[in-house]
Amino acid sequence: MGTLLHYGTLLASAVIASGLALALGFAAPGMRVATVGLLLIILLPVVRVGVMLMFFLRAGDYKFGAVAALVLSIILLSFFLGAP
Amino acid sequence: MNGGLEMWLFAIALGTSMLGGLLGMASGIFIVPILTMFGGIDLHTAIGASLISVIACSCASAAPFLKDKLTNIRLAILLETATTFGALCGVFLAGLIATQYLYVIFALILLLSAQQMAARRKESPRPLNQGMEYSVQRLPLGMTLMYGAGLISALLGIGSGVLKIPAMDTALRLPIKVSSATSNFMIGVTAAASAGAYFARGDILTPVAAPVALGSVVGAVLGARILMKLPNEKLRMMFVCILVILSVQMMLAAFGINLIKAAP
Repeated sequence: MGTLLHYGTLLASAVIASGLALALGFAAPGMRVATVGLLLIILLPVVRVGVMLMFFLRAGDYKFGAVAALVLSIILLSFFLGAP
Repeated sequence: MNGGLEMWLFAIALGTSMLGGLLGMASGIFIVPILTMFGGIDLHTAIGASLISVIACSCASAAPFLKDKLTNIRLAILLETATTFGALCGVFLAGLIATQYLYVIFALILLLSAQQMAARRKESPRPLNQGMEYSVQRLPLGMTLMYGAGLISALLGIGSGVLKIPAMDTALRLPIKVSSATSNFMIGVTAAASAGAYFARGDILTPVAAPVALGSVVGAVLGARILMKLPNEKLRMMFVCILVILSVQMMLAAFGINLIKAAP
């Protein structure tokens, strides 16, 4: 789990940095690359909950598996309801 | 575009994230007032960027906590049902509440943080060993406070440590080391729930949020490496003063008065 976050953060930062560098140097596509990086950052904790869900299910802990699934669905609900 | 604004945003995020690590609070509580008051950035845009910063700090500083095995994963996921549900409600409220009232709420939360920092958390009297037994108490009260923390987090773009810490110290009675680690774990997930909604709504503007995100990652990593010591008394009191000043400014901003805003 620690490795996932570590490399995930690194990857997202690298994408944002290169996007910004592009935007400073040239023009339009850079910002779109940086936006993808921002999306990656937002998704990191969501993936983290997904990993926890699998962890609970594999351990046979269905009670907390259900709790993790509930958290995941609240997050996804928030994503979809946020869109106008 | 020119690079000046980006550099400024990057520097602000770096500084506040380092401070956040030093003071044990999330960076959002500093980022939102600074962006709106000094940068003249729209409040909703500042909140969106701040949420990104909160997630970035949480992810970048989670690794040492995970190694310590102090994060209570089961407790964290249980409390997350309350914080994410709060975030869901907060996202809705943020669209309904007038900006003026958001400033007022922010000012109050800043004051509360100042008071909390001045009072200083009580260390648990027992030394905490790895894998030490502790029991969780008063779960319903803790869950209610967590719901409030999620709501405020989504509404104001802050980590809401100011509500999570009393929830875990006073209501659940967790040892401080456990609660810091658990809190870090939850803050990222809660902020992601609201950041996704802000993103879908178009309130996360890349030109503002991207430099803030980068600055936050760098600041959080540096903060964890360099600033391991607890802040001394003078530093702490200085930040109590800064929080109070920011609070007054946010209150004035609610009434359309901005004393320090740079010319646009």
